[in-house]
Amino acid sequence: MTPTGGHGGASSDTGRFDPGLARDRTALAWTRSALGMLAIGTLIARAATEADLNGIAVIVAIATLAVGLLTWRQGNALYRERAVDSSEPHHQPGALGFLMSVTLLIAAVALVVTVVL
Amino acid sequence: MQSDQPTAGGPDGTDAPRSRGWLASPAERERRLEETGTEPDPRFSWANERTFLAWNRTALALIAAGLAAAQFLHLNPHGLRLIVAVPLIVLGGVLALASYVHWEDSERAIRLQQPLHYSWMPRVLAGGIVIIALCGGILAIVDRIVH
Repeated sequence: MTPTGGHGGASSDTGRFDPGLARDRTALAWTRSALGMLAIGTLIARAATEADLNGIAVIVAIATLAVGLLTWRQGNALYRERAVDSSEPHHQPGALGFLMSVTLLIAAVALVVTVVL
Repeated sequence: MQSDQPTAGGPDGTDAPRSRGWLASPAERERRLEETGTEPDPRFSWANERTFLAWNRTALALIAAGLAAAQFLHLNPHGLRLIVAVPLIVLGGVLALASYVHWEDSERAIRLQQPLHYSWMPRVLAGGIVIIALCGGILAIVDRIVH
């Protein structure tokens, strides 16, 4: 069940030896998520401006910028752990739940903006 | 809350005496999850994490599509564009929540070395897109005929 790392053993030492580049791919996935967050923030801010909800537009722009930066940091932290050489999986408890909550919030704001528009 | 049986074989590694399972904050839930079962190969957890992130981006894309539909569809009774826009955004919200539940479920299964479950999300995503596309197409045709 455990994937062996090509050299046939010592696969828990992912910090140094990671033939599938799983850590890199995960870090990149976080980066894409950060970009997605910034993109959706721009879209909502624009739509809110068009719906004459300028206050919401400013709040959404600032909030998604902050969340986008946090998400980007998550990926970077993951990547930097490579140097620390820890076999511990990177886990920031609550990071995924936070992203999910923000997405729900974004959906709610998008719904409001859409109906007002 | 970890008893010193290292390979918590039973499926009740997490939710024995804890009461407010659904009300706990995500951070609390995820900390609890880390106490479940045994530490897996990190690559399994990362793969699970990437899957969640991919679903989350899909949800964001659906919301973005809904916003675009709301702004750029010019149907004659102005409210008609909501038929396309609102389901897209709601579908995005549902998938965002469901993907988190699925991530948790998979992570628990990985840590307890149990089989993973299939998710209903691909089916809902595919079905949802088909229905919304049909609605959009019909609206476009009717709009063209009437005006």
